[in-house]
Formats: sequence, C-alpha cells, structure tokens
Amino acid sequence: MFAICFREFKSLFKSIRSLIIIGVILGVTLGAAKLVSSFQSQLQEFGLGDSAYATGLLILILIASPLFVSTLTHSTINEEVKSRTIRFIATKTSRENIVFGKFLGNLFFWIVCLFIALLLITPFSKAFHVSELMEGIVFVSYFVGLSLLLSTLIPKPGVTGFLGMAIAVIVPIVGLWSIASENIFLKIYSYITPYYFFSHDNDFYIYIVLIYPIIFLAISLITIRKRDL
Amino acid sequence: MYAIETNSLTKKYGEKTVVNKVNLKVKKGSIFGFLGKNGAGKSTLINMLTGLAIPSSGSFKLNLKDTESKRKVQTKVGVMPDYSSFYDDLSALEHLKYFSKILGLKMKKEEFIKLLQKVGLENDTNLKVKKFSFGMKKKLGIAQTLLNNPDIIFLDEPTSGVDANSVLTIHSLIKDISGDGTTVFLTSHNLDEVEKLCDEISIMDKGIIKLQGSIESLKKEFQKNLIVTVKHGPIPSQHKEQLKHKLDSIASNVEWGEENVRLVVSEEKKIPSMNRLFTGLDIDVYRIQVYEPSLEEIFLNTGKEEAVPLHSQDAV
Repeated sequence: MFAICFREFKSLFKSIRSLIIIGVILGVTLGAAKLVSSFQSQLQEFGLGDSAYATGLLILILIASPLFVSTLTHSTINEEVKSRTIRFIATKTSRENIVFGKFLGNLFFWIVCLFIALLLITPFSKAFHVSELMEGIVFVSYFVGLSLLLSTLIPKPGVTGFLGMAIAVIVPIVGLWSIASENIFLKIYSYITPYYFFSHDNDFYIYIVLIYPIIFLAISLITIRKRDL
Repeated sequence: MYAIETNSLTKKYGEKTVVNKVNLKVKKGSIFGFLGKNGAGKSTLINMLTGLAIPSSGSFKLNLKDTESKRKVQTKVGVMPDYSSFYDDLSALEHLKYFSKILGLKMKKEEFIKLLQKVGLENDTNLKVKKFSFGMKKKLGIAQTLLNNPDIIFLDEPTSGVDANSVLTIHSLIKDISGDGTTVFLTSHNLDEVEKLCDEISIMDKGIIKLQGSIESLKKEFQKNLIVTVKHGPIPSQHKEQLKHKLDSIASNVEWGEENVRLVVSEEKKIPSMNRLFTGLDIDVYRIQVYEPSLEEIFLNTGKEEAVPLHSQDAV
C-alpha cells in the first residue's frame, strides 16, 4: 500500500498539471497574504487579525480545490485500468491496498501543498495555523474520495475528467447556495456536501465531513473487488 | 501433488460462457502449456487463476508452500499477464524496485541487476520503458515474475511478437526457472515452443478443455491414426469405383487428387494391404508417405467437430 501511495504522491509532483496547480495555490496564497498585510490594521478592527491570511487560503481551498483535486485525481484508478498497468500491481497486492494507496498518495500530496502554502504565509501571519491546515485536509479529503470513487465506478478517464470538472463547478455553487436556502431539496443536498458542515459555528461539525471520504472509499473498494482488471 | 487445481471453473460475460467448467490439475514443478486459438478462453482462465478476473462459478486452489492468506498467495506467485503495460516514466530497474516494494520485499540494487542480467536486459537497466522494444518489455515482464522467488509462475503468451533471439533467451530462462522447482504455467499459440518446453499440455477451445496430457501421450493417442499420402500412376477407369470402394473400407477421410490420394489409417499394418489394393489393380505406386500427426495437427483438430477428445476433462 505504501509503495503505491508513495509512487502516486511522487508522480503527482512530477506532472505539469499539478505543478501549475501548486503554482496557483502558492501564488494566490502569497498574493493574498501580501494584500491582507496592507489592510492589517483594518482587519484587526474587524477582529480577524493574523488568521485572515490563513482564512484567505481556506477560502481558496473551499472554492477552487474541488476543481484542482478533480483535475489531478479523476483518473487515478481508471487510467491504470485502461493502460493495463494495474494488472502488474493487482497480481502483487490486494485491490484494497491499491485503492487505499491511491487515496493516501493523493491526500498526502494535498497535505504537503497545504502545509507549504501555510508555511509561506507564516512570515506575514507570524504563526502556523494548524487548525486551518486540518480543516483544509478534511475538505480536500472529501473531494479526493469523491474523485477516487468516480475513477473506480467509471472506466473511461475522459468521462471522469468531464464529470469531475462538472461536479467541481456544481458542488461548490449549489453547496454554498444550499446553506442559505430554505428549499427542502437543497437543504437535504447541503448535508451531502462539505459546505454545510464548514458553515457551522461549531468547529466539531467540520470533522463530520470525514465520514464522506470513508463512504466513498468503501464504495470504491466494493466496486473494485467485483471488477475484472 | 498438484500446484494448481481447478474445479468447474467458469467465467461468463453476460450470456456468453468464455470458460466453461474447467477442471485442471497441474503437477508441481512442471512446465504446463496451455494452448488455444485466439478467443479460446486461455487468458480469461489465467486471469481467474491470478486474481485479475472474478470467476462466475467454480473454484481453484493454488498449492503453495505457505498459503495462509491471500496476501501470502500473491507473494508466492509470479504473473506476467498478457495485454499489460509498464509505466512509461519508469526504467527497468525502477519497475523492479517498485514491484518489489509492493510485494513487501527488501532487495538490494545488485539483486535487481542480477535479475535483469538473467533476462538479458543488463545493458538497459536505466532506460525508460517507453524506449523499450516489445521483446524487451516481455523480458522485463518475466523478470518481474521472478522478484519473489515464486512457487508458481503464470506466463501469458511470453514469446508472442518477440524476435527469434529473444525467444531463445526466454525459452532457456523458462527451463531454468522450472529447474529450480518452480511450476510454470504458460499459454501460447506457438506449438513448437510448447512442444520444446512443456511436460504437459492442455488444449482449450471455445472455453472447454478438449485435450490434456503429456505431449508424448497425446501424440501416442493421435499416432494410432496415420496420415498416408500415396502417389500413384493412372487409374484405369474400369477400376476407379472398385478402388474407391475398397479404400473406403480400410481407411477414412479419403481425399482424391489428380495423381495422389490422401487418407487416414487407424493402424500401421493396414498400409501394406492398401498398397496391395493398388498393385492388385495394376496401378503403379510411386511413393507412399506416412505422417504422424504433429502437435500442430492435434491442436488444429481440436476445434473441429470430428476431433475426439483424447483425455476429456473427466479423465484428468
């Protein structure tokens, strides 16, 4: 499992798409941090203080990470099935290990990205925001799990690429909309996106989101166990 | 003791049965050849045995030295699947390192190099696989099966599309592997290869095992039938019907040409009688050629309706 995880992690850093995404995250984080620092006194009046830097990053994650994650992870399983490279690894380890390895590899990539981004803003914020890091990881894990599930359920990488992008646009818009809406269907929908839990005052709610990647992983495992490779 | 045992192993895709109630027994330490035409179900069977495909029904057992868990089975089996590909961004050495890590092995660089030497890739250890020829990929495919010093190796079409020199390397490698006590299960189209390498073979057609046994025993069974070609002189028209009638009584599958006749006799002693038939009617006989059926003929006959299974699955 760890060999697969490590390869996934390493190959994500090698791809051009991921390098662009890392560049965007770090660039936006640094840019936002510089912008925030020029309005520091005003922000402190609103009680935001130093956490405004990390909040900026978290907002970027909440809005853009579904697209980033989907771009990088949508074909993590089905590409290997399509190219038949999975046949070498599936004869050497269990399918569970492949799925877990892929999930962890992708998640670690995001953990490192978030960690570096938060590290970059420490000169401005004068603090390392552990809670924001944890929240970012929880949020990203939802979409990593969802992308992995799509990649397991749908055999064609082209389809998951399109579907992943559609979901990455629809889920944040409808997710944020559903929080404020009184519509019963949107209310129900809000419970299956992470945005409802992130909008709650109680931070504990954020960690409820972790149930979703577990569910996505479980469905992925059940699906891949029954599939011919 | 058998290394591989299957019990009514079946694979269906929708309504289509690709592998139909296969019962196989492969002796430990043997080289077992699994023959069949394209679409016969060979790869599907090997995929089921190696965990790549889920059987629709039936079961199989791999008798390894230590098989307490599925994980252990995978670490004691080497598989070279057909239609598989490597990672383009990795070299041969990196592939072996990656696969060994997946298997949970702790190996030194020298051990990987030794393996690559074994398959003749010692000069290409750091070359990215995307630059590999088809034959080189096949060799790497075999090298990775040997990583865990397995009890059983499954090789799906190990030499298809490979140049003659590489075929020789692969053949001698397979013999070496088997010499170490490893059971080798290989599928092939190449009858020559199977005849050279295998102790036992099984021929599959349309998902059913038609024949199984040692090459010698299969040949022996089929050699009861001999294919005879007689080159003869002109046949007087008044004797034509008589000759045809008499030949039909001692031979089968009689095919008439202009100057020769091809027929099948069930035993050797019928050949002199057949010769007397010609000479008795004053027909010159220039040449009599007797063929023993080759493995290829056994193979080619397997799919035909008239082919009689020598060792049916029940007899295994």
